[in-house]
Amino acid sequence: MVGPLHYLVLAAALFALGAVGVVIRRNAIIVLMSIELMLNAVNLTFLTFSRFPLVVKGNDAPIAGHAAVFYVIAVAAAEAAVGLAIVIAVFRSRLTVNVDEIDSLKN
Amino acid sequence: MNFNPNDLVGILPAVILTLGGCALMTTEVFLRKDGPDRRYQPFLAAVFGLIALYVSLSQLGDPSATLFAGAAVADGIGRSISAVVSGTLVLSVLLAAGYLETLSASRGEFYALALFSAAGMCLLSQATDLIVVFIALEVMSLAVYSLTAWLRKGTKPAEAAFKYFVLGSFASAIFLYGAALAFGAAGSTRIADLALAVRNANAGSSMLVYAAGALLTVGFAFKVAAFPFHMWVPDVYDGAPAPVTGFMAAGVKAAAFATLARILIGGFGDVGASMGPHGWQSLIVLLAGATMLVGNVLAVPQRSVKRMLAYSSIAHAGYLLVSIAAMAGSEPRQDAVFGLVFYLASYAATVIGAFGIVALIERKLAPTGASDDLTTWGGLAQKHPLLAAAMSLFMLSLAGVPPTAGFMGKLGIFRAAIEAGLVPLAIFGVLTSAAGLYYYLRVVVYIYMVPSTKPEPVVGGRMLTAGVALAACAVLVIWMGVQPGAFATLTQSSLAGFGK
Amino acid sequence: MDSYLTPYLPVLILLVIAGVMCTAISLLAGKLGPRRITSVKEGAFECGNPSTGDGHARHSVRFYLVALLFIVFDVESVFVYPWGAMLHDFQAQHLGWFAFGEMMSFMATLALGLVYVWRKGALNWSADVNS
Repeated sequence: MVGPLHYLVLAAALFALGAVGVVIRRNAIIVLMSIELMLNAVNLTFLTFSRFPLVVKGNDAPIAGHAAVFYVIAVAAAEAAVGLAIVIAVFRSRLTVNVDEIDSLKN
Repeated sequence: MNFNPNDLVGILPAVILTLGGCALMTTEVFLRKDGPDRRYQPFLAAVFGLIALYVSLSQLGDPSATLFAGAAVADGIGRSISAVVSGTLVLSVLLAAGYLETLSASRGEFYALALFSAAGMCLLSQATDLIVVFIALEVMSLAVYSLTAWLRKGTKPAEAAFKYFVLGSFASAIFLYGAALAFGAAGSTRIADLALAVRNANAGSSMLVYAAGALLTVGFAFKVAAFPFHMWVPDVYDGAPAPVTGFMAAGVKAAAFATLARILIGGFGDVGASMGPHGWQSLIVLLAGATMLVGNVLAVPQRSVKRMLAYSSIAHAGYLLVSIAAMAGSEPRQDAVFGLVFYLASYAATVIGAFGIVALIERKLAPTGASDDLTTWGGLAQKHPLLAAAMSLFMLSLAGVPPTAGFMGKLGIFRAAIEAGLVPLAIFGVLTSAAGLYYYLRVVVYIYMVPSTKPEPVVGGRMLTAGVALAACAVLVIWMGVQPGAFATLTQSSLAGFGK
Repeated sequence: MDSYLTPYLPVLILLVIAGVMCTAISLLAGKLGPRRITSVKEGAFECGNPSTGDGHARHSVRFYLVALLFIVFDVESVFVYPWGAMLHDFQAQHLGWFAFGEMMSFMATLALGLVYVWRKGALNWSADVNS
């Protein structure tokens, strides 16, 4: 039977994949996607703890996790918008979205 | 659970700043493209900032109150930090006015974003729920990312914004994962419930609690630029417009440190029992020591004053971490909390002044594409004696030389550390700040002793608003240094309602 | 074996058989069949006009702008759905007007953003948005 641990491990794996993606991927757009992946792993964790609560606080504990996910989704959208706008600004000034070539700020 | 309209009074500074941002943003789009009628914008923003400052100062003595069913709180440290943030905003906006006009980048969105960001900072310092912390953190950060990319000339601003965005969002995601684990351990995202879970942690849940604490701390270590997570600071501070750099150095630091203290003390204050006698204190001590060392050492070889100030801000994050380490425990140590708030206020006044003068140099250099090498500061004393004196004052304050605000700030923090038994850390801090004297005084040497290499004057454009802001910074720096007792209300009321 | 998966065993068997058959047929056809390539065979047959240009054409930045605005306004609807689902409960608790007012203030904030975007010309597809 699939239990909370499966979801938590899946979420941790997704989070790790996202973190690795931010660090090693070269394309700025894929870096943005990796950040989104990390946020969605967090959402999965919130939902798991909502569905299988370890500690029950009153009767709105399950709802608190769901509400948190809504906020995270909304903030992630705003973050993606700002990130995309910044990537476009980088592209306009350098004509590339390759992270390795974005290096004019060095001593 | 019902909504109580009176709760809005508790977050009044944030509400005022948000309304100001909306007003500036919507009026901007009804203006003509290149009209001269944009002059009112910095003043409107400053007025909203002043109102928020007045409100947070007038609420300083009030008893602390829980807001929105425990999601936020109106307590001493929240009000003190709101006051620091509002003051930071007013000074930065005045400095930005002439800067943006000279570079013909003056639009209402700049001030709107600054106001939104300041609203996020105020809310951040008052949040007692991890989800509210996250939202306030993002409101603050997203606006600051955009401000970093404000100037569209050259490749530097967009790159700095990109770096800041990627690392900042990465840090937010790590923080949020910590919040999710804390939710699992506590069954709620309230910091108070987290403290309960920490106290009752058993063999099964203690791992979850520790992991949550570690992730939450790492997320904020990024934001405050503590040692292993400081790599973004020099590039971002260098690439951002100088008034924005000052705003972010002062405001983001103030809000992030207040929240870090709130999470560590309010949420994890009791972790000591299961983790050793001092809990997370030893970790923060290590972090503080490494941050002070790295910031001061890396600042030495910098030729650009802006980059030097960036590394110096890392060093100052280290000093601030000393005060966090000193307040460890389930009840925060009073003098450490006073030290933190006073240091944040003194650092804000100093660093905004320093970056304000960098902004004056930068706006003259911008058309030539040159960066502010130390040599461009040569001969400043002959051409602009007042500016030279002010810059020297800010450098001395950053170095911690009496009788400046920086000295009193460092004194308070190191004294608190000694009281808390962290004598080696305090000695190490004093030694590193003495080493810092070298690179701060080098700027003063260039200003006064090195002759000018360039014939044209260094500073130009409209100076009035920037002059007023710089004078205010200088007065504050001296006042806080000579008469720190005058700021006792600001610092000492910060303890009300802090902790459990 | 998970018990609730047992009824689906025939489906799994069918999937495996289908996969084996398809692979076998295409492999055998490729191995055994004669192969004579002519230019007529290589040409596009009833597939519209011959294609021109690079397959990786760059999209106008305006697509991104619209996508960007779309996600921001679209995602805000996550707050409307739970509100709509809970409206009856709110009314039962005599919080109906309060809940209505809350959502209207939220909508008003979004409308302010829409006014900004509109006046800024970001919704104007043909005009130059960069100016």
